[in-house]
Formats: sequence, structure tokens, C-alpha cells
Amino acid sequence: MSRQPTSNAAPPAEEPKGAPPRPTEHAPSPLIEARSVCKNYGAFRALENVSIAVREGEFVSIVGPNGAGKTTLVNLLTGLLVPTKGEVYFKGRNIAGVGPVTLATQGMARTFQLVQIFPELTVAETIATAAVTRQGKRWRLLSPLPQDAEIATRVAEIAGLFGLSSRLATLSRLLSQGEKKLLDVASAFALDPQVILLDEPTSGVSTAEKHAVMATLAGAARAAGVQAIILVEHDMDLVAAYSRRIIALSEGRVLADLPPEKFFADPVIIETVVGKRRGVSC
Amino acid sequence: MPAAISAIANVLIGGIFHAAVLFLVAAGLQLVFGVQKIVNLACGSFYALGAYFGITLVNFGLGAGLPDWTLLPLLVLAGLLMVVIGPPIERLLRAVYDRDESFQLLLTFALVLMFQDIFRLVWGANPRSLNNVHLVYGKWTVGDFSVPVYNLLVIGAALLTAFLIGLFLKHTTFGRLLRATAENRAMAEALGVNVRAVYAAVFTLGTLLGTLGGALVVPTAAASLDMAVEFVIEAFAVVVIGGLGSMPGALAGAGLVGLIRAGALVLYPEFEILAIYLIVIGVLLLKPSGLFGKPAA
Amino acid sequence: MKHGSALLLVAIAAGALALVPLLAPPFYANLLVPFYGYAIALLGFNLLFGYSGLLSFGHALFLGLGAYTAAVVAGVWGIKEFEVALLAAALAGLIVALPLGWLAVRYRGIFFGMLTLAYGMLAHAVLFKFYHLTGGDSGMRVPRMHLLGLEFAAYNKIELLAGPFYYYCLTLCALAAFLMWRIVRSPFGLHLRSLRDNAQKAEYLGVRVHQFRLAAFAISGIYGAVGGTILGFRTGLADPELVYWTHSGHLVFMTVLGGFSSFLGPVIGALALTLLQDQLQSLTQYWRLVLGAILALVVIFLPRGLAGLAIDVSLLLGRRSAPSTASTTETA
Repeated sequence: MSRQPTSNAAPPAEEPKGAPPRPTEHAPSPLIEARSVCKNYGAFRALENVSIAVREGEFVSIVGPNGAGKTTLVNLLTGLLVPTKGEVYFKGRNIAGVGPVTLATQGMARTFQLVQIFPELTVAETIATAAVTRQGKRWRLLSPLPQDAEIATRVAEIAGLFGLSSRLATLSRLLSQGEKKLLDVASAFALDPQVILLDEPTSGVSTAEKHAVMATLAGAARAAGVQAIILVEHDMDLVAAYSRRIIALSEGRVLADLPPEKFFADPVIIETVVGKRRGVSC
Repeated sequence: MPAAISAIANVLIGGIFHAAVLFLVAAGLQLVFGVQKIVNLACGSFYALGAYFGITLVNFGLGAGLPDWTLLPLLVLAGLLMVVIGPPIERLLRAVYDRDESFQLLLTFALVLMFQDIFRLVWGANPRSLNNVHLVYGKWTVGDFSVPVYNLLVIGAALLTAFLIGLFLKHTTFGRLLRATAENRAMAEALGVNVRAVYAAVFTLGTLLGTLGGALVVPTAAASLDMAVEFVIEAFAVVVIGGLGSMPGALAGAGLVGLIRAGALVLYPEFEILAIYLIVIGVLLLKPSGLFGKPAA
Repeated sequence: MKHGSALLLVAIAAGALALVPLLAPPFYANLLVPFYGYAIALLGFNLLFGYSGLLSFGHALFLGLGAYTAAVVAGVWGIKEFEVALLAAALAGLIVALPLGWLAVRYRGIFFGMLTLAYGMLAHAVLFKFYHLTGGDSGMRVPRMHLLGLEFAAYNKIELLAGPFYYYCLTLCALAAFLMWRIVRSPFGLHLRSLRDNAQKAEYLGVRVHQFRLAAFAISGIYGAVGGTILGFRTGLADPELVYWTHSGHLVFMTVLGGFSSFLGPVIGALALTLLQDQLQSLTQYWRLVLGAILALVVIFLPRGLAGLAIDVSLLLGRRSAPSTASTTETA
């Protein structure tokens, strides 16, 4: 566990920086929900009776030590895996194993821990790939894409949000590591998702830049009208600064599902999640 | 022995003989693919080279007054001598080890084209054959059933080769190095394995299996310009059925293809090649890793 | 401006090709007819290889399909309109490509290559063995057909090939290229290139990987069959050699020779190989040896093919921008 927080977390009472627009007054039904989900790999039980819900307007972080089941949960929430028991709903629809394409079309986007790019596509083309999906133009076999103003507008908007406007014509493989990361996330945003799942978006980014990258992402999410963000993150500083709610997993179970102020006030949870050292003193 | 049974025995032994030669070439293909991850289309050309040179060496040897029984040793020698082409070709392939597999495939296809004309240049366009010299070891006859002893020797030689390769891979240091490299090249390299040397050795061994197979088959079948492109495709069917990179797979695949061919030739000749490729497609679709391969990553 | 110069080059090239029957002896026009067949087939082939990242080693199957379809339409059914043969071939290409592609697109890399190779060999076995249907080894005759309803009765076969049929093929090839150019620059084409580069990421951006690979396979099948119809008409014969695996290898050869990362690369490759093979054959009977050596050199030293070389040279000379029309990696 080398990734310990280096400084104190932001004061929990403060309004989270990354919060998307306030939810409407009446409590909305969950956008995404896992109900009593279990997942076994052979004899190994990766998740046991996990229930979580994410509503409109929420920024939820999923934390936990390696092997706690974070990846499995993410893969269930994105419809990649079928739960052994229980159900996963997105906007009221059961999404067990529907696969990434359906989800992307229905309004859920995801980014990966390891940066994923299209090496031989330009920045504009990468973003356009998602815009094509969003605008339902994928089966247009003969209409020239470069002349599609609707796509071009969307590409320019998204690139602007992520500071990639000057790189539109650059091949993805020629970008810097940080730019690749931004592009990876930017293309997911171009789907206009209602929910976006960020799997350790700052991995591979230097400690100094982490906050700047998160700030860009959170700002972009707000500007793009994303309704809920799920963040999987090791860095407790970032989790504390941006989350409205923190879900801690441990050995396949939900250990805690609390707002940050309560979460960081509980030394037992902190010790389980962060490890032996007490890294955060709230 | 009743006629029906001896007829079946004839078909069987014909199939097994074909399988034995197929196994040798397919084993070379497997070795090279298993370790170097290259599908070598030129292995059929190595086979043809062994066949052509086998004829030359046998004609030369017997013409120089060697006794007839030296046929088999001469053919084995021909296979061994032609292995000299292995290292330079491996050197050429080094240029594309880190490239896309389409380039690797194409480079070996270029070799196929070149070899075809080299054969034409050296041995002419007409098929060449040894006239029944393989009967020098006599025939083994039971009732209506008779088989040249030479064919049995070749089957024995192939089985011996399979056994030796198995021993070599499992129980020698070099065999372990080779399997380690096949498993994880980067790891092997990090542990100090000279991957370059392993590749050169593996490719040479693969070449040897090809040239040997060709040399051994030539007393019973003519050497022709088409044999390379025809045989590589059959060896390819064997490795797909058995599982890419798997030695037991090569043995089982060769047996299956040999027997199907022999059976189909008797029962329903239209179905011969067709049956083989239907099986290939079936295996690829149902179990792409083949009968003995590890699941594809 | 970038577009302009590339378009100009293409126009000059097309104009030069149009002049061949007028300025050169009929031999040369006749020689170039198969080039058009290959060019059309390779435009389709490269949608699969260059744009979707799937290397088929059995694509000659579709060339054979086109030629045999022409033989059946004109020879067996007696319909002498070439347009009917073309349409029938395109339809046959689609019908055959859909089930074969449906099974194959789950794989990529070496497994896709092997499966398509097996398809080709299966087709060869069928054509070769079922001689009562296909004529076996000797194949089927492809009779002379009418072009646009005209019989050209005054022309002998050579004159027909070197005259009307030449222009017919040139037009067909230009149309096919224009259509393919639209396809690769469309949203569909973008999704193909994204799944080629990174299928996992593409899926999460809503790219239907299998469906799109299948669509690319089907389109390439149609192009292949149409190209095969031209080959069949020219030789007057459809035989099993058309689908043999070495013929598929030649398709890959032409594509790599020209450069699969360029839109026109495969067309350039088809032209280069057609002319090269003719020259070599007149010089030596060992032309395969030279051809193989050239292929080896291209694979090792010119991975982007002649088109890549041309782009580099044009970049070097005069610092003019590379023709963006010729690159699969730019939609410009």
C-alpha cells in the first residue's frame, strides 16, 4: 500500500467540490442500483450480498483495499458480468450482462484504470466515435463524417471542456501520458452519459497533478450535465474532497456507506480501508 | 485373412503412413509457432526441399555403388544436410519478430514463392521420383494384406521422433528453457535466457523436422512443384485440429487427418479434403484452442 | 488544398489509364483488365484488413464466387447481360459472406486468418471435387456477354477486352473506389477504425464490434465477387485455382506491396504487381523467385508499402503536405 494520503483531507463539512447539480427536491428513484448482489468465481466468493444505490445528483466513491471486490462490483454495475445472485438495475432496467454497447447507448459511460486510446485515431476522431454513437449515426455508411456539423460541434465542445482544443488533429499515440488520460475520459463524456464510472482516473498521474486532473473531470462533468458520478479511487484525499457519499468494500461486503464526514470520523473503517497507518486524521 | 479385413488394414496402414509424415512436418510447425509465435507457411517448402534433395542424394549414393539397404540412412542424411537452410532463414525472420503477424505470415509466404522457383531451377518442372527403391526392405505380407517394410520403418521413425521430442521438451535443460520461452518470452529474457539463441535453435529444429519428413516420404511419392503448397495446408489443418503449439495435438491431429483421408478415399473420394476442412472449421468454431491446446487468451 | 492536390493526382492517373487503349497496343489494355478486377476486390479486402484489422487469408474465395456466378448466369442460365452477372455476383457475395463472416468475426488475428484460410480451402475442395456441378479441375466456361445491352458483335474477344470492356471496368473501378471512399469516411468507417485500434475501448463508446466486423466482411465479400466477375469474363473461365490459398496470398501480397494503411495503397499494389509480373514473366521463367524476393524486401523495409513510400517522398520533396486522401489514419 504505497498510495497513502500525503496531506489532510479537505474539511468534510464543506460542500464537495465535484458535486453535480443539486438533485430535485423529491427523492428520485436510483439511477443505478445493485440489490443483494453476490458474485462467485468458482468456489471463490468475490461479492456477498452487496446492495448499493446511486441517485441523481450524487458523487459516490467506492473504496477498499485490493481484493475487496471493487473491480467485480464495477464490472457488475457496467453490465459486463452477470451476478450469481441478485440484480443490477440502471434506470429501472435489469442490466445483468447486457454488455458495454447497450449501456453506452442507454447513458452509462466508463473509463478504465489503464489508459485506453485508439493509437491511430486523432483526438477529434476519438471523441467523434462516441458522438456518433450518441447521435445514432453509426449505420450511416455513405455520409462524409468531416462534413457533419453536428458531430464537429460536439467534438469541439468536449475537447474544450478537457483542454484538448489545440490537439484535435493530433494522433492519439503522439499525445503525452496526461493528455491520453484526458482524452480517454473525454471520449466517455462525449456519450452524454447520465452516469459515469471513473475507475481510478488519476492512476499513473503524478501526485502533484492529481487534484488538477480531478478538478478538470469534476468541472467537465458539471458542464456536461452528468447526473451521477461513481469514482473508484485509492487516494483518500481525492475521495474526501469530491465525494458526497463513500462506499467501503471489504472482503466482498459493504463495510460502510456513509457521507464523508461520518466516514472519516470512524477509525475502524479508516483502518480497514486505508491500512495499518492512520493516514487521515479528521 | 479375409479380403474385407485386409482391405481395411491396407487403408489403415496407408492412413497411418500419411499421418506419420504429416506429424513430422506439423511438429516443426508447432515448435516454431509455440516458441516464436510465427505461423511458418514455408514449412511445406522445407518438406519439398527434403524430398527433392533426398532423390538427388539417393540417386548419387546408389549410383556410386552403395548397397541398396543404405536407402534409409541416405534419406535421413539428406534431411539432416538440408537443415543448413534453417539458420539463414531464421536470421531473415528476425526482421519481423516484433511486427504484426500479417507481416510474419507474408514473409514466410515470400519464402514459399521463392522456394517454388528454386525447385524448378534445380530439379526442373517435371515431378521427380525414385522408382520403387523402397521395396528393397521387402514387403510384409499376411494373406491379401501386404505393406512395404519401408512404410513401417517410416511410421516407426515418426513415433520415435515424437517420443524423443517429448523427452527432450520435458527432461532436458534446453527443453525447459524452450518451454519457458514459449510460455513467457519477457520473463524468460529477464531470467537470463538467450532468447535469440533459443529462437535460432527452435527454428532449425523445426526445419529439420520438415526436411526429414520430405526425405522420408519421397520413395513412396513423387516430388513435385506443388507438393509444398499442398502439404503446408494439410499440416496447417493438423495443427489447428490438434491445437496451435501443442505437441500431443500434432500427433493426434496428424493421426486424425491421416485416417480421415485414407477412409474418405475409399468410401467417398469427393469428401476427402472436404472432410478435413469441415473438421478444421468445426474445431476453430467450437474449440479454437484445438483438441490439445490451451484456451486462447 | 491537401485534398485538391491528391484529387488532382488521382484524376491524372485515371486520365492516363483512360488513354491506354488509345495510345498503347491492345496487349497493354488487355493486361490491365485483370488489374481492375483486383483493384475492386482489394478495395473491399482492405476495408477488412486496413480499416478493421482483420487479415483474411481466404479472400480469393470471393473472387472465385464472382467468376463462377458469371459462369452460371451466362453459361448455364444463358443470360448474356453482364450487368445481371455483376448483380448476381454481388448478391452471391453478400449471401456467402454473411454466414461465413458471422462465424468468423468472433476472432481476430491468427485465428481469423486460419478460419478464412480454411473457408478458402473448403471452397476449393467443393469446386474441385464436385465436377458434375462445377466442372472440377477444368472449371466452367464464362461466355462472352453484352455490355449495357450492346453485343459488340464486330469486335473479336481481344478487341472487346481492350476497348469497350476496358472502359467498362475502368468506370466500374472508379465507381467502386468512390463508394468505398465514402464508406471509409463515414461514421461507420470511423467505428471500424476505432474497433481495429482498441476493441474494448470501442465497445464502451458504443461501437458494435461484431456487427461492424460482419458488415465490413460482407462489403468486402461483395467487392471481391464483383472483382471476380471481371476476372472470369476476361479469361472466359472460372476454375478452382481462383480460390486456392496461394491466390489469397497474392491478394495480401498486392495489398501490402501497395500499402494497407493508405486508401489507394491496395489499388497501387494491384497495378504494380500486374505490371511487374508481366515484365518478369517476359524476362525469366523464374519470376516467382524475383517476386518473392521483392515481397520479402517490401515486408522488411517498406511496411507502409509503395503508397507509404510515395507519401514520404512527397513530404521530403518540396515539403508539400502528404495527400490526406490516401491515409486510413486521417479522415481529414
